[in-house]
Amino acid sequence: MSGEAQTTAHHHPTPRQYVQIAVLLGALTGIEVALYYTEPTLGKLVTPALLLLAAIKFGLVVGYYMHLKYEKRLLTGFFGAGFLLAGMIYAVVLVTFLIVPRFG
Amino acid sequence: MTTTASRSTIFRRPKTTTGFWSWITTVDHKKIGIMYGYTAFFFLLVGGLEALLLRIQLAGPEGQFLSQAEYNAMFTMHGTTMVFLVIMPMSAAFMNFLLPLMIGARDVAFPRLNALSYWVFLFGGIFLYSTFLFGTTGAPAGGFLADEVSRLGSAPNAGWFGYAPNTESQYSVGTVLDYWSIGLQIIGLASLLSSVNLITTIFNLRAKGMRLLRMPVFAWMSLVVNFLLAFSLPIIAVALWMITFDRQFGSQFFQAANGGDPILWQHLFWLFGHPEVYILVLPAMGIVSEVLPVFSRKPLFGYAAVVFAGAAIGFLGFGVWAHHMFSSGIGTVAQAAFGLSTMTIAIPTGIKIFNWLGTMWMGRLRFTTPMLFAIGFVAMFTIGGLSGVTHSVVPADWQQTDTYYVVAHFHYVLFGGAIFGIFAGLYYWFPKLTGRMYSEKLGKLHFWLMFIGFNLTFAPMHWLGLQGMVRRTWQYAADTNLGPWNMVVTIGAFVIATSILVFMWNWVVSRRRGVQAGIDPWDARTLEWTIPSPPPQYNFAEIPTVTSLDDFWHRKYTEDDEERPVRREGADALVAELEHTGRHPDRPIHLPAPSYFPIAVGLSLPLVGYGIVYHGEVWGLALLVVGLLATVTSFIGWAQEPSEPEPFGEEG
Amino acid sequence: MADLAHELGHHDEHEGLGVDNRKLAMWVFLASEFMFFGAFISTYLLFKGREGLTPPIPRDLYDIPFTSVSSFVLLMSSLTMVLAHNALSRKDQPATRSWLLATAMLGMVFIGGQVFEFSTFVQEGMTMRTNAAASGFYLLTGFHGTHVVIGIIMLLSLYGISRRQDGLSEAKGLNLELVGLYWHFVDIIWIVIFTVVYLIP
Repeated sequence: MSGEAQTTAHHHPTPRQYVQIAVLLGALTGIEVALYYTEPTLGKLVTPALLLLAAIKFGLVVGYYMHLKYEKRLLTGFFGAGFLLAGMIYAVVLVTFLIVPRFG
Repeated sequence: MTTTASRSTIFRRPKTTTGFWSWITTVDHKKIGIMYGYTAFFFLLVGGLEALLLRIQLAGPEGQFLSQAEYNAMFTMHGTTMVFLVIMPMSAAFMNFLLPLMIGARDVAFPRLNALSYWVFLFGGIFLYSTFLFGTTGAPAGGFLADEVSRLGSAPNAGWFGYAPNTESQYSVGTVLDYWSIGLQIIGLASLLSSVNLITTIFNLRAKGMRLLRMPVFAWMSLVVNFLLAFSLPIIAVALWMITFDRQFGSQFFQAANGGDPILWQHLFWLFGHPEVYILVLPAMGIVSEVLPVFSRKPLFGYAAVVFAGAAIGFLGFGVWAHHMFSSGIGTVAQAAFGLSTMTIAIPTGIKIFNWLGTMWMGRLRFTTPMLFAIGFVAMFTIGGLSGVTHSVVPADWQQTDTYYVVAHFHYVLFGGAIFGIFAGLYYWFPKLTGRMYSEKLGKLHFWLMFIGFNLTFAPMHWLGLQGMVRRTWQYAADTNLGPWNMVVTIGAFVIATSILVFMWNWVVSRRRGVQAGIDPWDARTLEWTIPSPPPQYNFAEIPTVTSLDDFWHRKYTEDDEERPVRREGADALVAELEHTGRHPDRPIHLPAPSYFPIAVGLSLPLVGYGIVYHGEVWGLALLVVGLLATVTSFIGWAQEPSEPEPFGEEG
Repeated sequence: MADLAHELGHHDEHEGLGVDNRKLAMWVFLASEFMFFGAFISTYLLFKGREGLTPPIPRDLYDIPFTSVSSFVLLMSSLTMVLAHNALSRKDQPATRSWLLATAMLGMVFIGGQVFEFSTFVQEGMTMRTNAAASGFYLLTGFHGTHVVIGIIMLLSLYGISRRQDGLSEAKGLNLELVGLYWHFVDIIWIVIFTVVYLIP
């Protein structure tokens, strides 16, 4: 495969780099599944670890495959705004259900 | 040029720019805006009629004019219609017609998508209203409603907010709530598509020099509104899918017996519903921000503050939704948090109000009809905002909830606010739209009748509510002594109706016989007043270059030492020249070509809707399949149609 | 199609964000989709651990090895998607078509896996009517799957256009990038779903 391919003025990862990212994504998924099976031993640590792994995968696909890392910052702004807004709002909804006082 | 597309070659791109077919296939933002406007106004009349029926029923105690079923249908459809089929599309009408003109563009970013939004809205609204023809409702086993429900009562009847589990099929038998949930789904899609379109337009299609902070306030409010739409509509889409699946396919989202939760509906609905009310009022606030400066002969006081306050309202609007749930048992922590967040929204709102007052202060005021409505907005919206602040005090809200006090609040902000703002805009831009002036006498008559009627109708609701008159209830008992003020309310409603007739008469007569208006009858500030009235299809013969906020004003006026405006010597000549060159572009202009596909997709969605409602029948399933196929094929045809603009006038 | 604003008015410059119209629109649309999927994901989280759910609940029936393979397939389809984009940027039309087809086929394998998973669950006694957690599971993954199917249709359309028009032009190339953005988005939603719905205890 050839080196830098540029449709626009931006830098693009090479096909080789794309494949490396894919391998990484696969490995991370493998670790996630392994963690799932070790849950009885690791207990409470599993959830944050899984979330972290998912976040890394998310970031890799968004940053490199969706090219957001190389795009204008504003696009990250819009995309991030949607993500953060959703995260905050639904977190509040779930918390509201958790903290409702239960009577009798 | 009036070539009609021949019927035997439906795949050939239509070309006509005049006549009936030109409206069917148009992608011109101005025509689309006009269609939105007339359709929304039609629904205003329908929603208003529904209100009058309610008010006749409630004019005296123990009314028998409407049955219980009919009453429930009327208040539900009144609310649903006014929110989704009147105010939102009216705002869309203004945004569509004006935004490209205000930012110096020839059209929106995606003209065919724009047309699609209109057709989806129109046919979605028709689908919803077809409930009166086809919908069925009735009592669940052992219920108290009559077995036979009249056509008038055969409409969605669970309120515009459709709380679960009342909307579940075991409590709401029949199909009316399917018309509601699916109809709203379709209508919501129209706005979602439009929001992406207009956000792109505002960001990317501005004329040279039209930096974001040089845009008219209406353009800024439109930007905020479209972000609100984009981020809030998906939430109600989810809620509507959930209730649709609960009703049609037996899912358990809101069925408490099997792990579901009716409170989830409330959260999802109000997560949309609260940003929705800012979607309803911010465009009107934008209109007011355009009208007040022109008729005060002063720039808007604190432009940047007004813009940022609008953005703040939009953002904070996502943080207050559970104030609609204070009496739903969400617990004291949530109540306190949302009470506080609700109070903070008053701050940016107050900033805007003070800035509007500051604009008028020491201005040379001209009390034209649009100015009267704009001032009316400021006053009435403030009253509504104040009652809203009282809602934010949780224990007080517990008294107010489900009483007419709440009805008073939201009508002050939505009618005294949004509707007044819309009328201000309709009068203000009438000369631009039609090239003629409306009758100022009839306009003022409309205003005063409407102002008096509106306050007669809604002011008493404050104390009726505090005296305990309950919402959404078809009758009140004689010994509640609520009768006399209710009669006043009903009379007020009919005064409002009369004022609307005056408006309609003014509109129709002035379109035909109004005095010719030039391009700038108001001596205004923004770009839409630099082109002929009505605007030519291409908007600007030459896209202007802008050097400041209110660029047009500054080309006409300079300032003396005391910052008073002084008309430049060449101002009249400038306006005359703009009028002339506006009609005679010196080179061919490329415009997007018309298309059949938007209306084709628009027509196929209700087919899918009927298919979902009646999927239990064979013909229903067939409709569903046909509808889906029609949608997909229309999209494929659309995708293959070239989107390059074609030369205007075909001269090449 | 080139930027509408450039087409109109010949040499008029204009203000903009410096991002193509359709690309900007796609990013805004995808941002809004977070609100859509977020609602379904949080609904599932709300219901999954509730007391009194009529069994079986989704958690009882998950086949993690199977779903892991599905997830891997979808991740790899993002790779093939980005390779299609890369091939087009090098004007290698046949390779572009191959990668497009590969992406669509991996998507179809994913959907096949979903269909198999759903029918297994139904056989094991869990439909969307069984309990609220099941309803949440089916609608979340069902709407995700619907998005994948729409993506597959778009991919195959691009493939078809490329065959009929002997390759994708510069203008159509942007369409491929847009479909790619959509496809990757659907993939990242699955990344979240797989972790939050299937794996997290």
